[in-house]
Amino acid sequence: MSATAATFERLATVERSPGYWSGVIRRLRRDPVAMVALAIIIGLVLMALFSPWIAPADPYRSSMLRRLRPIGTPGFPLGTDELGRDMLSRLIYGARLSLLMGVTPVFIAFFVGSFLGITAGYVGGKVNTVVMRTVDVFFAFPSVLLAIALSGALGAGIFNGLLSLSIVFIPPIARIAESVTTAVRKIDYVEAARASGASSMTIIRVHVLGNVLGPIFVYATGLISVSLILASGLSFLGLGVKPPEPEWGLMLNTLRNAIYVQPWVAALPGLMIFITSISFNLLSDGLRSAMDIKA
Amino acid sequence: MSAAAPLLSVNGLTKHFPLKGGFFGRSTGTVRAVDGISFDVAEGETLGIVGESGCGKSTTARLLVDLIRPDGGEIMLSARRLGVDLPLRDLRRNVQMVFQDSYASLNPRLTMEEAIAFGPTVNGVSTAEATRLAHELLFKVGLEPKRFAGRYPHELSGGQRQRVNIARALAFKPKIVILDEAVSALDKSVEAQVLNLLGDLKRELGLTYIFISHDLNVVRYMSDRVMVMYLGEIAEIGPVDAIYERPSHPYTRALLAAMPSMDPDHLTREAPLAGDPPNPINPPSGCRFHTRCRHAATVCISTPPGLYTLPGERHLVNCHLAIPNSGHPGIEAVTA
Amino acid sequence: MTTPLVEIENLTVRFSGARDVYAVNGVNLTLNPGETLSILGESGSGKSVTLKTLLRILPENRTTIGGAIRVQGTDVLALSGKALADHRGGVVSMIFQDPMLALDPVYTIGEQIAETVMRHEGASAAEGKARALEMLTRVRIPSPERRLKAYPHEMSGGMRQRAMIALALACKPKLLLADEPTTALDATVQIQILLLLRELQREFGMGMIFVTHDVGVAVEISDRVAVMYAGQLVETGSIRDIIRDPQHPYTRGLLAANLHGAVKGARLDAIPGAPPALHAAPNACSFAERCAHAQDRCRAELPPRVTLGERREVRCILPEMAKA
Repeated sequence: MSATAATFERLATVERSPGYWSGVIRRLRRDPVAMVALAIIIGLVLMALFSPWIAPADPYRSSMLRRLRPIGTPGFPLGTDELGRDMLSRLIYGARLSLLMGVTPVFIAFFVGSFLGITAGYVGGKVNTVVMRTVDVFFAFPSVLLAIALSGALGAGIFNGLLSLSIVFIPPIARIAESVTTAVRKIDYVEAARASGASSMTIIRVHVLGNVLGPIFVYATGLISVSLILASGLSFLGLGVKPPEPEWGLMLNTLRNAIYVQPWVAALPGLMIFITSISFNLLSDGLRSAMDIKA
Repeated sequence: MSAAAPLLSVNGLTKHFPLKGGFFGRSTGTVRAVDGISFDVAEGETLGIVGESGCGKSTTARLLVDLIRPDGGEIMLSARRLGVDLPLRDLRRNVQMVFQDSYASLNPRLTMEEAIAFGPTVNGVSTAEATRLAHELLFKVGLEPKRFAGRYPHELSGGQRQRVNIARALAFKPKIVILDEAVSALDKSVEAQVLNLLGDLKRELGLTYIFISHDLNVVRYMSDRVMVMYLGEIAEIGPVDAIYERPSHPYTRALLAAMPSMDPDHLTREAPLAGDPPNPINPPSGCRFHTRCRHAATVCISTPPGLYTLPGERHLVNCHLAIPNSGHPGIEAVTA
Repeated sequence: MTTPLVEIENLTVRFSGARDVYAVNGVNLTLNPGETLSILGESGSGKSVTLKTLLRILPENRTTIGGAIRVQGTDVLALSGKALADHRGGVVSMIFQDPMLALDPVYTIGEQIAETVMRHEGASAAEGKARALEMLTRVRIPSPERRLKAYPHEMSGGMRQRAMIALALACKPKLLLADEPTTALDATVQIQILLLLRELQREFGMGMIFVTHDVGVAVEISDRVAVMYAGQLVETGSIRDIIRDPQHPYTRGLLAANLHGAVKGARLDAIPGAPPALHAAPNACSFAERCAHAQDRCRAELPPRVTLGERREVRCILPEMAKA
């Protein structure tokens, strides 16, 4: 076969390996734990999106006559809370605010933290020192304390809660992003790209992002559970969501006085937080192993 | 010397790395990785570079493609000086490099055609044209485009990956390809295949190679001229036969004597050198080799010899023993 | 007739995982006391695995070992508990390519050697220290008293390799296993270590199995050579036989690929292709697809074991045909 005949064959005839992400999805689908976790998360998201249609009752309608009914009461399958509101409906509606408070800060921090970390890692030198030392200052405070302090300073409310949690998660994500990028920058293929005369922006886009965003994303999904718990904690302390909004952390707070009367009902919001956070953690673990290219 | 200017000319190339440590990364020393080396490479020849770890051979390679900035010295390509009348772009287009680690050299997220096409596309070639070029180059390095263009690095063997890396270097139609231990990590049987490929490509494309290796057999097979480096300096440089048959520097002789014997009846009796190569941090005074040299004299400790051109051929040696009137007491003994 | 120090009979090693790997496929080998054997092969040939099986340091839960290994008549594969601990480091000892993996970074060289001696021989602390000093002297480490107190990271590459050899030989093993101990070293240091191992092997009168991919290293160190390919020994014989009269096409290719004496610019007679993936037990000659002399028979059945002399064997049809 002559060189031209072989080289000018139509591109369509080239045998293509499945792309990286299809491989990740294929491996993830073989992981039963991660798939169960993913199903739960999808269920929770659907629950949040369609709460008005799913919830059997109005989550705000209270009644002093039917306070703190036990689980299994006719009409109130999961009982009622301290103001006589339907627990099932409140838990379903609670998914909206709780997921919002859990996912949004991590999402925001993923972008800001990745930007800071990748810049610091790729540019190195003084830029790295400035960014990373600033990040280190935030690391001096435990994340719970930092979230409380920021929320306290900004004042209660959903927006301020989201803002303070976002700030809390930027430093850990930036740090991971920086270390992954620093490692990738030293690998020969980046050197080869530099030797080809590509600009820094092109190298970052083609060679760095694809190889660092994955690990950062995995780490960030692991943070969602922390964010959920912190958000619930803020609400519990009265710094996040305000009553009467249904939010799992806030519900846990308001029901704490009922713990001796109806312990099972009082524990329900905590159970939701637990299930949600563990699902995100298990999915994150599954992603981590599915993304390991040598596996 | 011929009248034509050499293709590549390096003059006084120097790179010192500050050694960071202590509080606030204060400099605590200097690694004299490459210390004022000068050499020429003629068009179409292969210059082999040999030396042990810390001798500066890999740093030299990276300086030549401007992956690290030199602290001093000049690089000239076809009589044009880098930074004066030779833009960096032109240097990079004409001097390409193949690294040792075939896996680390390829982005795990890119297919082979994307990896090869990357360089041309960032230099303004259209994606379609670059992909076509990638297929042509894959064919040229012995990989059927149909089977390999859409593959990812982990699906290829080490030898196949190194072929892709060679194809990527060739995508610029460079004049010079630097092979930095490019075959060292390959199994011997695969290495021979890649060496054959390099020979074919050189003949076909009229390439010039700078071939860096620690394997003296491979360097001898590949090179027209050989440069021996020791602690950031050139110990000896000359035609391959002169270096291997008539080595003039005691270090070159030691390197050759340290090669394992291939004759079971004439085994190596004695190690030519004792101890490890010293650290390029704060290298010895005078001749850098004097701490390990059995011919070391007072003049070696006090004065660096400098490269001396032996009569008759392009054979330069950095040793007092080779320089007439250098003051080394052993000169008569050696020449006699 | 001497009793062999090591007898390996039909050794097979299989790793189970997502895809099984048949790493060693029927290796037969003997080593006499005081003899040095090199196992020569490329990466993935099973040479390192064979060595590790002798010390039983492969991960037990996903390794299936078949066949028999006897060291001084003891069935190595049946050892367990204290007997296995005495075998490792006492009877058989090993040195590695990277001494940083074999040496403990938090103890000094002296402490590590003394501790080994105390554990294996029940010696006192003073005896252990004395032995440590003796060993450092015997591996020609300059100013050994001072080096006793050195940590591994404080030593240069060559010194560390010497320290690891001192540690491996501290209990006077009968058999030393060497897994490419000079591969990562600079040329001028490599020859020092090779000469040292050659001398120590004679001084201690021990047997040595030396795994390498470098023909030259094998020539310097060994009495006999076993060439390994795809988990099988393709050729065994004395070093002179292998170098001067290689019979197996793979051995010939490997020797040519060393480029010793290759004519500059001449095309190399390279072996085409790459070694096979070992996902199934071989049922034909593993080298057939790369071999210029392959015939239908090579692809249909396992090659014969042709004996060409005392302890000289080739697994190939070519010498058989030549004999017939």
